[in-house]
Amino acid sequence: MSGPRGAVGGAAEWEAPITVAELVNGGPLAGARMYGAGESPVHQVRIVDELAVFSSVAPHTAVVLIGAAASGGWAVEMAMRRAWEQAAACVIAPVGAVGAGSSAVLSDRLGITLVFVTADPLVTAVEVASAAARPAAARTQLVARCATRLAEAGASARRVLGVLNTELPGTSVAFVDETGTRLAGRAAALSSGAASGGTAVPASGLAGRDPAVPASGLGGRGPAVHPAGLEGRGPAVPSSGPAGRGPVAQSSGIVGAWPAEVVVRGPAGEVLGRLVAGGPARSAGWPSVVRTVLELAVAPLAAWAATERLAAAGDFALQSALAERLLSEAASGSENLEDAAGSEVPGSLGGLEASDASDVPGNLGGLRDSAASDVPGDLGRYDDPDGSEVPGDLGGFDGCDGPVGPDGFDGAEGSESPAGSKGGSGARLSGGAGALGAPSGSGRLRGGRPGRRADDRRAGEGVWARAVALGWAVRGPVSAFMVRPSGWTADRQDSPRAGEVIAATLGGAPVVRRGDGWAGWSALEPGELAERLGACLRALPWPCAAGVGTPVTGLRAVGESLLGAEAAAFLAGSGRVARSDRLGPAELLAAIPGGVLRAPATVVLRPLMAADREGTLLETLGAVLSEGGAVRAAERLGVHRNTVTARLERIKEVGYDLDDPATRLALHLAWHVISKG
Amino acid sequence: MIGREDLPVLAAGSRLFATGAAESSFQLAVDWAGAVLDTPVELVAAGDLPPGTLCVAVSLVGSTTALGEQLPEGQEPARAVRALERRLGRRAGAVVALNLAAENALLPLIAAASLGLPLVDGDGSGRVFPLVEQTTYTLGGVSSTPLALAGPSGELVLLETAPDRVEETLRPVVLSFGGWGLAVCYPMEAAELARVLVPGTVSLLLEAGRPGAPRSVAAPYGVRRLCEGRIVAVEGSSGHGADVTLPSAPSSIVVEESEGLGRLVRLEAHNEIVLALADGAAVAMAPDQICMISSADGVVVDVDKASPGMRVEVLVLRAAPAWHTEQGSALGGLRAFGVPL
Repeated sequence: MSGPRGAVGGAAEWEAPITVAELVNGGPLAGARMYGAGESPVHQVRIVDELAVFSSVAPHTAVVLIGAAASGGWAVEMAMRRAWEQAAACVIAPVGAVGAGSSAVLSDRLGITLVFVTADPLVTAVEVASAAARPAAARTQLVARCATRLAEAGASARRVLGVLNTELPGTSVAFVDETGTRLAGRAAALSSGAASGGTAVPASGLAGRDPAVPASGLGGRGPAVHPAGLEGRGPAVPSSGPAGRGPVAQSSGIVGAWPAEVVVRGPAGEVLGRLVAGGPARSAGWPSVVRTVLELAVAPLAAWAATERLAAAGDFALQSALAERLLSEAASGSENLEDAAGSEVPGSLGGLEASDASDVPGNLGGLRDSAASDVPGDLGRYDDPDGSEVPGDLGGFDGCDGPVGPDGFDGAEGSESPAGSKGGSGARLSGGAGALGAPSGSGRLRGGRPGRRADDRRAGEGVWARAVALGWAVRGPVSAFMVRPSGWTADRQDSPRAGEVIAATLGGAPVVRRGDGWAGWSALEPGELAERLGACLRALPWPCAAGVGTPVTGLRAVGESLLGAEAAAFLAGSGRVARSDRLGPAELLAAIPGGVLRAPATVVLRPLMAADREGTLLETLGAVLSEGGAVRAAERLGVHRNTVTARLERIKEVGYDLDDPATRLALHLAWHVISKG
Repeated sequence: MIGREDLPVLAAGSRLFATGAAESSFQLAVDWAGAVLDTPVELVAAGDLPPGTLCVAVSLVGSTTALGEQLPEGQEPARAVRALERRLGRRAGAVVALNLAAENALLPLIAAASLGLPLVDGDGSGRVFPLVEQTTYTLGGVSSTPLALAGPSGELVLLETAPDRVEETLRPVVLSFGGWGLAVCYPMEAAELARVLVPGTVSLLLEAGRPGAPRSVAAPYGVRRLCEGRIVAVEGSSGHGADVTLPSAPSSIVVEESEGLGRLVRLEAHNEIVLALADGAAVAMAPDQICMISSADGVVVDVDKASPGMRVEVLVLRAAPAWHTEQGSALGGLRAFGVPL
């Protein structure tokens, strides 16, 4: 078959004889009903009008039956038998030649592929002959058609994968992220190793049926007995030629890197994921064809990623909702993405703006106060147990009474327990509780029925796929961050702007409204993240502080990281970035709300402040306590050591015993409170 | 000698491989034979007759069902034989069967009894074929004409035509008679008959029809079992390509073998089963006779009565050697049934 050919391996593959399956899958026999695996290569075509012609049929011939040879079930069956004896590639018969499925059963029994065509068999013969004579041209035709379809599909991962799976029938294509998790397309593509060379998946109603089992209409007998066994028995068998030859022999010679794989890069050149194609590789040439088609799909997918980013960048509500969805799914452990099989970009993507999308953060806030019973309904829709799709109506988040439907509320039935005790999802959404990503919010909502799956699939492109398109970290270690306004209260109109600046400075990160500020996560290492947040704070038009949480192993644990980020942001001074893994005593002290300690601190320090009109004594006291000694305090203050000593003497004179640890701690605390305020 | 007491045995023997027998018609033929068998009929070997004896073949033409509906008036054999005698200017000295399937085994006996003639032990087929000219007599060069046909309402037609036109000419005549007629044909001398006859078949039926006798006794050249299985489909066949004139439409019976390899056996029928394919390979074909025996009651299953779900045994009777010649295949082989193999 694919013997020693041209020097260029790829070219040789393209010239490899075309197989029956290829003819049916994308060639001149497209749409024909095929029974059998179709793995045999087709070298030539022979038109057979009577059985006598078979004696001169060469191996790997596609036999086209016409006239008497197609004049009934008996004729087709005899032709199949003779074709099998001659090791022909397949038998092509007009669709009217056989009434019932018994010929299909015989096809299984003999392991010879049978194809029924509706077109004029003579026309079919010419087309098949042309494809067999110039396999490369035939394959190029398929590639060209795929290119056209991909162009029509536009920038949608779902549609691109849809085109790939339609135009490469018998082959399953999936879009997976770097860890191999499927984002869109067919799961079968990923199990192709086992499927290779296995069952044929004809486009007909037989799809999915184990080919070894005869059609049920003819009785559920066991697996086909290999007809070679017949040879020793049937007295009237005309030829003993085929004895011992198995149909399997025809499938040898399938080579090439399979399953095929192509890397998809995003707009900035980063790896978005891979396109993987699997299934039975039915010819030596097929992998090359598939790889070429996959490569054609890379550009549309990159465009899709760019489009998604553009859309999300301009729409805080959208990307925020997406981020929330992602978090809740990560928390509920539905990362297996079982049905991330591609689906339509939500019809409401555009509609979202119309439905008052800018309300989103506000409504999130609103949810915090609202009765929990409202919330689970909506969340229920997001916590589809196995779905990983963004529901069609992202507007569900903006409170536009969307089609929450009975579905959503059903899911909330068991919500009393966790919701009651913890504030449920309301608490989850309110920054203060910091329960972001905690399993409490979603676990209870996972009772949804599978029925929703289909709806969700219709409704949205896979949430994980879209996250990947946006360049968000969905795998591996991540750190949460928090940006909060210092000294002012953010209005909900501020969120889009904040989100834009944050995402831009961090280089693609999800931003959600969290408490009185904005939170998100990033795959950046904490130091780098803190640095970029610093740049972010400088870029923001308002005074803000930021915190970085400790790195966690994955999105699932990001809630824990966010707790730290929130604390750090709370402690960080305006314009500063604090890291939760670097919080010192000062930060801890400062964690106590200023108002609470201000009065006692004033009491503690009043004698000193009364004696210290310029504030030098207070400053010196703070420096000494913070630095742990007069020498370093002097350095910090930029004065001579003796000056510090002198000032300490004056402080003692006011009545403080600086050698007493309790006094030192009290003074130190009070100093933090007063100086910070 | 065949007397009244032998009738049940002969009747049973005649049905062992016969298809297309309508029950009431067959019973009628048996009763008719019983009525005329006052004296036993002499069964003779063709070679034992004086060589110059004129022998005539007797056969039912048309539908056996019609025989049961359009009752015979009783003089049909005599009228037909006399008509032929008038045409030939000679007396007939013996009667012989065209074939020995069901009624056709009895009608020659009836004719012999009615006319007081001996019955030749043998027939012109060794099995049954649908057409009058499909006989070993034809293979031996004997013409089926002149042919006399007597109808149940007193009709009498003397047919003289080229043998290959007989079937076409007879069919409308038979229809006008009411569906059946009794044909007396293939007039020939005993010496010639001895040459073209499939001999001894009447005796075989008498032997095979005895209770307890194995069915295979009725098959002079051997019988083999093709398979036993269940009918899974009966398909209208789209025809066999060739343009042939046969009484019934082609059909296709698919039997799934219930033992051994579980082969898919397709029985291609055109008036009778002419071709058997096992997994697409031809395993039996005309001129050998292929018949389905119902596993339930051991009765031959008529092609028209086959229906999915029936359990059948498929048997193949080897045809007389004359049929396995080139000439024989042309007359009674697949191509005669329109199967271009």
